[in-house]
Amino acid sequence: MGALDGVSVLDCSEPRGHFAGKLLAGLGADVIKIEPPGGDVGRSYGPFLHDQPGPERSLYWWHYAAGKRSLALDLHSADGIELFLQLTADADVVLETWQPGRGRPFDPIALSEHFPELIVISLTPFGQTGPWRDHAWSDAVGLALGGPMGSTGYDNIPGAPPIRPTEHHASHISGYFAATAACTALYERQDSGLGQHIDIAMHECLGFTIESSAPWALYERHPLIRQAGRHAGPQPTEPWQYPTADGRLINIFGMPRSEASWLALVAFIQERGMGENLSEYELLDGRKRQLGLQQPSVAVMLDDIAEFIAAHEAEEIYAGAQAAGAAWSIIRTPDECLADEHWRARGFFVDVEHEERDLTVTFPGAPYILSETPWTHGRRAPLLGEHTREILCGQLGLSDDEFGALVSAGVAQ
Amino acid sequence: MTDSEPNTRPPLDGVRVVDFTWIVAGPTCTRLLGDLGAEVIRVENEQTLDSIRFGRPHPNGFDPPDSGAMFNWLDRNKRSITVNARHPDGLDLIKRLIRVSDVVVENYSSRILENWGLSYEEQRAENPQIIYVSLSGFGHSGPQRDYSTWGPTAQALSGLTAMSGLPEAPEPAGWGYSYLDHMAGFTAAAAITAALKHRRDTGQGQWIDLSQVETGMALTGSATLDFTVNGRRYRETGNPPGNRSVWPQAAPHNTYPTAGDDNWIMITCTSDAEWESFCEVSDHPHWRTDRRFATLPARLRHEDELDEQIGSWTAGQDGRALMQRLQAADVPAGVVQNGVDLVVSDPQMKAREWTVTRNHPVIGEHLTDGLQIHFSRTPAHRDRPGPRLGEANHYVFAELLGLSDERIAELQINGALG
Repeated sequence: MGALDGVSVLDCSEPRGHFAGKLLAGLGADVIKIEPPGGDVGRSYGPFLHDQPGPERSLYWWHYAAGKRSLALDLHSADGIELFLQLTADADVVLETWQPGRGRPFDPIALSEHFPELIVISLTPFGQTGPWRDHAWSDAVGLALGGPMGSTGYDNIPGAPPIRPTEHHASHISGYFAATAACTALYERQDSGLGQHIDIAMHECLGFTIESSAPWALYERHPLIRQAGRHAGPQPTEPWQYPTADGRLINIFGMPRSEASWLALVAFIQERGMGENLSEYELLDGRKRQLGLQQPSVAVMLDDIAEFIAAHEAEEIYAGAQAAGAAWSIIRTPDECLADEHWRARGFFVDVEHEERDLTVTFPGAPYILSETPWTHGRRAPLLGEHTREILCGQLGLSDDEFGALVSAGVAQ
Repeated sequence: MTDSEPNTRPPLDGVRVVDFTWIVAGPTCTRLLGDLGAEVIRVENEQTLDSIRFGRPHPNGFDPPDSGAMFNWLDRNKRSITVNARHPDGLDLIKRLIRVSDVVVENYSSRILENWGLSYEEQRAENPQIIYVSLSGFGHSGPQRDYSTWGPTAQALSGLTAMSGLPEAPEPAGWGYSYLDHMAGFTAAAAITAALKHRRDTGQGQWIDLSQVETGMALTGSATLDFTVNGRRYRETGNPPGNRSVWPQAAPHNTYPTAGDDNWIMITCTSDAEWESFCEVSDHPHWRTDRRFATLPARLRHEDELDEQIGSWTAGQDGRALMQRLQAADVPAGVVQNGVDLVVSDPQMKAREWTVTRNHPVIGEHLTDGLQIHFSRTPAHRDRPGPRLGEANHYVFAELLGLSDERIAELQINGALG
């Protein structure tokens, strides 16, 4: 049983809301993904199964639509919106992502007023109000305007631009706010019996995702310097990423704080015949090891550490440093994460059957382990319109003839 | 309020959170819960203060523990008590607080609460309906549960660091801040609110075990599936791609320089219609008929030339004016803004009152930033500044837990408080 067991969600989202819907499905809600006949635009996002595009071959869709049902219904048609309103009468949550002035098929605020118990979430780039509310948007434009890119880039490559991390992060960030909003409003409704409309601007979500840039800006109007592979700061700081003998990189940001941990790290390095300068007496003082202050003691320390890392393999360094209590890490690519026994032991990666292809696919799994209401990956992503008939005929009671007429008219698929 | 009036209190009104969090990940979660109306009680200890209380800037002078802007930004809407969990009387007080609370959140290394005698089982013995969230780097199970992380450590291990950078650079750019501290905090807030809903249905509490690295790996779906399904390793195809598109494919899709020092605009044309509009606005309508740029596959093949020509055109132009021109033609374009831009020059944020002035007894007047979730009936709030250390001691010990003044004085003397 999931935490949102019995909650019915009508998910009308464009790709920017796909992650929000996935979170609700993982928590146990029955998420009906409403797609236009012809298919959600997300089905055209790669990568694709064996690199061949097609509406049922999008690995993006496989990931973000898993656990949802598919209702292919044209909400821009009179019949489609009428059926949608019938479904809404029995739904708990409607999730929509249309910008207010860009031809949305219904007004979410009016919908919320018409169904007082319904929770209507509008997850849009800039919110329901303001001069940018209808601005053309993409995930990358969102990350540029919203603040994350302003802190991310290179200090060691002249003229390098700010960098946008890949993989739909504007949608990831705001998806969590939409999921939290849904859960919170459902919780409140158990007491009040009332729903409401919820306006979430992705732009504002991103603005709370820039860590120390925010207080430096809010209090001092002080911009931070972008730096390669480490935190932007008010002043330049020492590098954190160092190349290994096997062509990988180690991040050394988590330097030991306690003396015991420091001595264990030094022993690990010196047992391998390196790090002579790490025995310097002043490095026993944790303040003299503190990164970010451009201290001469730290420069000496990092020279030795860089030399040690360059002479050893990443996995050995990672295991040895962590055993000493240093929070060092390997900079892994997603494919490398699958090999780590720790995530296997915790059951993070899950195998999902794609029965009609006779294929078992390994997915990244739960972002949280809930002891009593386990997160579920759910069934493989729905085929286009896979559940249209069961929803329209089974749930709304349409006859076969009525259903056939809708399909012929292109309203449903 | 009469019975006929709808409830307009913040949505988590009446929820009490015992907050053992520090640094950024845990406090991000509890800030959100506090904004939503929960009563968040930070349990602090004078011997092991949250280092964020010392973090810069200190706008009114360095006078910790209450002078730091970072702490006030991240810990608004919370209360603070000072207790020593390692003292038996302190532990007893914490247990009594758990009895009258709904949620316990902590982001210590994985054995700390267990060592104090506050494992989930021990918390449940005090309060069978408690919702306990442990937020750590590796989670509380598995062979590496004793490994430690910071935000950047977790980002590197999850794959997210490697997925951000210029393809020809010797190292990734990663993230210029602890992205996963924020994301793990948001993840925890989603899980807690779901668990509260479940508890109102069933009376059942639970333990939420959260690993920061797992929250990061959960965001790498497309790249992970490209490996598990297609066998393609991430770096095989020249990744990371800089600011060019991955999926959906688009070109142009990049940052381009504009007038001034280190100013940039992101322009992304995700359809041919957007590309055609872009060409019309660009003073270079011939780009549209140039065979190298006529179709998306052609533009992707000639992306170096495309980016070079667009960059020559944008250089020297005012970024904000260019953004408005492109937006008027419905081309997705936005200047790269940093935190100061969001606060000072962003008309959208201004129109939605993203910042408001608030007061703090030590820091004075300052700006606090926005609410992210705008409820039509039960609005969130941002009126209470970050707590001074121990400011809620009397409220919690005397009013909530019913201790006499004499007993509180005794506990101060014997080291259980403070």
